[in-house]
Formats: sequence, C-alpha cells, structure tokens
Amino acid sequence: MATLAERRSLEPWQDPKAVPYLRIDRVTKKFGDVYAVDDVSLDIFQGEFFSLLGSSGCGKSTLLRMLAGLEYPSSGRIYIDGVDVTDVPAYSRPVNMMFQSYALFPHMSVEQNIEFGLKQDRLSRHERGERVGEMLDLLKITELRKRRPDQLSGGQRQRVALARSLAKHPKLLLLDEPLGALDKRLRENTQFELVNLQERLGITFVTVTHDQEEAMTMSTRIAVMDAGQIMQVDTPTAIYEFPTCRLVAEFIGSINLFEGKVVATEGNEVLVETRVGRPMRMRSFHPMVLGTPVTVAVRPEKMRLCADFRDDGVNQLKGRVEDIAYLGDVSIYRIRVGDGALVEMTLTNVQPRTEQALTWEQEVAIEWSPTSGVVLTE
Amino acid sequence: MRRRRWPLLTVLAFGYAFLYVPILLLIIYSFNESRLVTVWTGFSTKWYVELFRNQQLLDAAWLSVRIAAVNATLAVVLGTLAANALVRHRHFRGRTGFELLLTAPLVMPDVIIGLSLLLLFVAMQHTIGWPDGRGFTTITIAHVTFSMAYVAVVVRARLSQMDRSLEEAAMDLGARPLRVYLTITLPLIAPALLSGWLLAFTLSLDDLVIASFVAGPGSTTLPMVIYSSVRMGVSPQINALATIIVAVVTLAVVIAGISMRRGPEAR
Repeated sequence: MATLAERRSLEPWQDPKAVPYLRIDRVTKKFGDVYAVDDVSLDIFQGEFFSLLGSSGCGKSTLLRMLAGLEYPSSGRIYIDGVDVTDVPAYSRPVNMMFQSYALFPHMSVEQNIEFGLKQDRLSRHERGERVGEMLDLLKITELRKRRPDQLSGGQRQRVALARSLAKHPKLLLLDEPLGALDKRLRENTQFELVNLQERLGITFVTVTHDQEEAMTMSTRIAVMDAGQIMQVDTPTAIYEFPTCRLVAEFIGSINLFEGKVVATEGNEVLVETRVGRPMRMRSFHPMVLGTPVTVAVRPEKMRLCADFRDDGVNQLKGRVEDIAYLGDVSIYRIRVGDGALVEMTLTNVQPRTEQALTWEQEVAIEWSPTSGVVLTE
Repeated sequence: MRRRRWPLLTVLAFGYAFLYVPILLLIIYSFNESRLVTVWTGFSTKWYVELFRNQQLLDAAWLSVRIAAVNATLAVVLGTLAANALVRHRHFRGRTGFELLLTAPLVMPDVIIGLSLLLLFVAMQHTIGWPDGRGFTTITIAHVTFSMAYVAVVVRARLSQMDRSLEEAAMDLGARPLRVYLTITLPLIAPALLSGWLLAFTLSLDDLVIASFVAGPGSTTLPMVIYSSVRMGVSPQINALATIIVAVVTLAVVIAGISMRRGPEAR
C-alpha cells in the first residue's frame, strides 16, 4: 500500500481523488475563422513539470498565453486552484510567465527588472530588497545586479528573466520556450538546473517547447499538440514507448511504421498482415476486430540482429544494409527489406566501428519481440 | 589602378556648397560693419546690439517661441495618441480614413491649410463667438493641426519597433495598463517624443504662410516680421537674428539626432 501511496504522490494524475491545481476545461480560441486552440481540456497537478509539445503553429503558445491572461478564450473555462480565472486579466492572476524573448526591460538594471513585479505588489522597500537578494542568490547572478540587459549574454538574460518571473513567488510558472534561445551545450546544463529549481521550490511549471528532447528530459508529463488539439497526454516514457497515434509516434524520435490489417487475434496478441514479409505478431492493449486497418510501430533501437532466421519466424525480416550513419555511441542502419521499404535499426557500438561486422550492401536478418512495439489504429 | 577620388569629392563639395554657402554668407554678414548687407567693410557685433534694442523684433520672437513651445507640447500629446491608435489597434472602423486624415497635412499645401483654417475661425467666431479675434490661440491651433502629423509619424515608427512582449511582461508582473504605459512604454519611446517635440517646435518657429492667414493684428510672429522687413530693404539686424535662429535650430537638430541614435541601442 505504501508504494501505491508513494506512487500517487509522485504521479497525482494516477489518483482519481487528486484535485488538479490547474484545470483547463474545453478551451477554444479562434482567430477569425482559424482555430488556434480547439476544445482542449487538461488537468495539471501541484508540483508538476508539464510540457506542451508541438511544432510551431500547433496552438501551444496560444494556450500558454491564455493561462497567463494575455489572450482570452473564445469558449471554455480555466481554473487555477479551484478559482475560475477565465476572465481575470493578466495583472491580477497568481501566475507568472517567462517569455521566449525574455522581455527584459531595457531601461532598467537587472535589479530593477527583478524588483518590478514586487513594486506592483506594493511591498516595502526592505522586503523588496530582501526578495531581490534571494532571487539573485537563487540564480547565482548577484554580480550582475547593476548591469543592463544589453550588457548580458544570452544565458545571463535567461537567468534574469527566470529570476524576475520567480520573484513574486508564483504558484504556477509558465515558460515559453525557456531554453529556445540558448546554444546546445548551455541548454543541456540549464535543463537539469531548471528541473532542480522546480523541485526545490515546489512550483508547478507549465512549459511550451518544440524540442522533444527537452520535453522528455524535464517533464513529469507531456501533452503533444497538433492543429490546436491535444493528441496525447502522458509521461515521457509512455509517450515514447506507447504512443496512441501515428502523429505522436512520428513526432517523438524515429520509428518504423508498417501499415496492414488485423488477420487474427490470440489472447492479448494480434497478427497483422503487412506488405512486408510474414504477418507480424504484436501485443495489443485493446481488443481488435478482424480486418481493422492498423499500423505496427517499432522503434529502431528495439530492432536487433537475428541469429537464426527461419521462414516461419515471428517478426523477422530479411534485407540489405543500404545506409549507415555512425553517431559515435550508436549507429543507425537503414535496411531495404523485401518489398522495397526501408527499415531503421539502431545498434549500440559495443565494439569500435572498425571491428563491426555490418557493412554496406550486406544481407542481414532482423527481428523484434511482440512486446517492443505498438499497434496503432489511427 | 588606384581609383581617382577627386571627381566624387568635387560633386560632394558642390552639393554641400549649394546647401550651406548661403547660410554661411548670412552668418558672416551678420558681423558686417556696413549698413549695406552686400558690402563687407569690417567686423562688428553692432547689429546684434541693435537687434536687442528692437522691441518689435523681440516681441515677435518671444511670441513665436511661446507659440512653438505650446504647439510642440500639444502636438506631442495628440500625435502620440494618434500613433498609439494606429499601431496598437490594427483593426478599428475607419482606421484607413483616420490614417489618411492624419497624414494629409504632410502633403497639403500650406496656403490651403492656412486659408481653410482662416475660414473656419471666422465662421466659428460668428456662430459661437470663439475664438475671439485671431492671434496666439488661432496660430497655435493651426500649427498643431499640421505638426501633430509629423509627431505621429516619428512616434509611430518607434512604437511599431517596440517589442510587445515587454508590455505583456509588465502586465504579467502585476502592472495595470496605465502603469504599464507610464513605466514601460513611455520611457522606451521617450527619444521619439523628444525628437517629435523638437521637430514640431522648429516647424512652428519657421512657419510663415499659415501664420500669415490666421494671425490677427498685434500677433505678428517672427517670420512675418522678417518677411515684411525684407520687403522694405534688408537690415543687417535680420542677419543677426537669422544667425541666432540657425544656431538654435542646429542645436535642436543635433539633440534630436543624438537622442534618436541613442534609441536603438537602448532597446
């Protein structure tokens, strides 16, 4: 029982009795005739690091701006901590936002930028000074406090923007592409720092990002959005391992898709006939009707070399290596199989590259297990 | 082969000469001893002394400066409001018409502006009894009508360059719209406001045509005095006065230029 309780405190969305901190209820936003956000409902819980993931123009930023109060929904309601804030203007919401461009006030010093929100709350000079000091310490930018934004590097600006948005101790922080403007190395370090900060402060974070890696590393849960709608909401693991639709499967990482239809069901497994080789045997979480058009989705790293290829073997394919991409830690092989389709396989480079057996134009047999992929119905 | 630079330099020198030699001559001759403007007899500052004894000229100059200052201030307020409306509200009924009406004075001949305003003021005096006669008020109103268009152009350019998310960030941090405007927007467009003010000030200071239409007896502006005195033969006092005006205007332009240049980096 203890483990269940533990699990529920870590994953409140598993607990049917948990009360969401932020509730988005059937929110729609129209710009003219265009649906930027289309009937979105989401429950986000206290202490979560929640990511809205999608390509540009999918409506994720509009949704975030509605949470901040910078846009108002065309229909639907937004509740924060049980209070309906749908019509509450940005300046009265208990929410702060870090902007993609950071939006630091250019005519104010770092200190004054951080102090701005506190001034609006009419805190005393003493309290403001203390809070600014606390934020400068928290983000290790004390030595920058007299500088102006144009005297800061990109990484420093990001820290100042974060300090400014945290200064009012919001319960909910919105981050619009928080790492978008940083270079790759800095971004990786900052990712961990952001997560640590979030855990330490216990603030609920909602971020918007188009970078799947970023979303995977930082989030407790991810909502994948497309064309204003939410395609799937789940933990990074579940989104990656068990996507529920082709779009999510393809958006996150790379994946091999085999289209076909169900020809037999055995217990919780289905047999899918595709244009490639023999029918594939896959685990299915839902009962399937015979003849349903489905897509078998298997990630490249779930493929392995097959030592004993048999003509009646399960989930085995023969083909020829066409491309090899050597990435150092792993290599990606693109294998042309029976009907001309390309299958991607990733192998960890256990041996140095020069000693590997696989080479171009080589005939290989590959296989995967019925549990290492999913069957998608749409 | 080295490119020869002198042809280009000659053209440049000629261009500058064309623009500035007349002004230079005017300044030089303001220090002329002789009563005749065109004959140099020796250095003297006596015309400046006489200028400061000429009450009519000084009154006119003081009137012009007052009109210019009030005009510039009103023009900045109205022009900024207009620019705000145009930049911030992309779709309102009659936006195109508003934009057209706002910018029309930029291309409208002064004679037409002057004449139409004169007709308006006369008609208004007959019907509602205001403005009572013509003078300071009518000239100022007339100047505001065209100089606010210039201010609007300057401020509008600045406003549309401004990052909207700055205002959104301020709002997100708890500032109400008016406060956002005062603490974020205004400081950021201040350079444009300053150069708009100086521009309006100068426009008003050297306007002759419109002022001649809407001025009344006893409200003669500086350009009007200069113009009428030139017709009766140029006194070197005018040179002296013109030199002072050139100095003031140059200073204003330099200040406006510096404040505009400081703008982009402060963004």
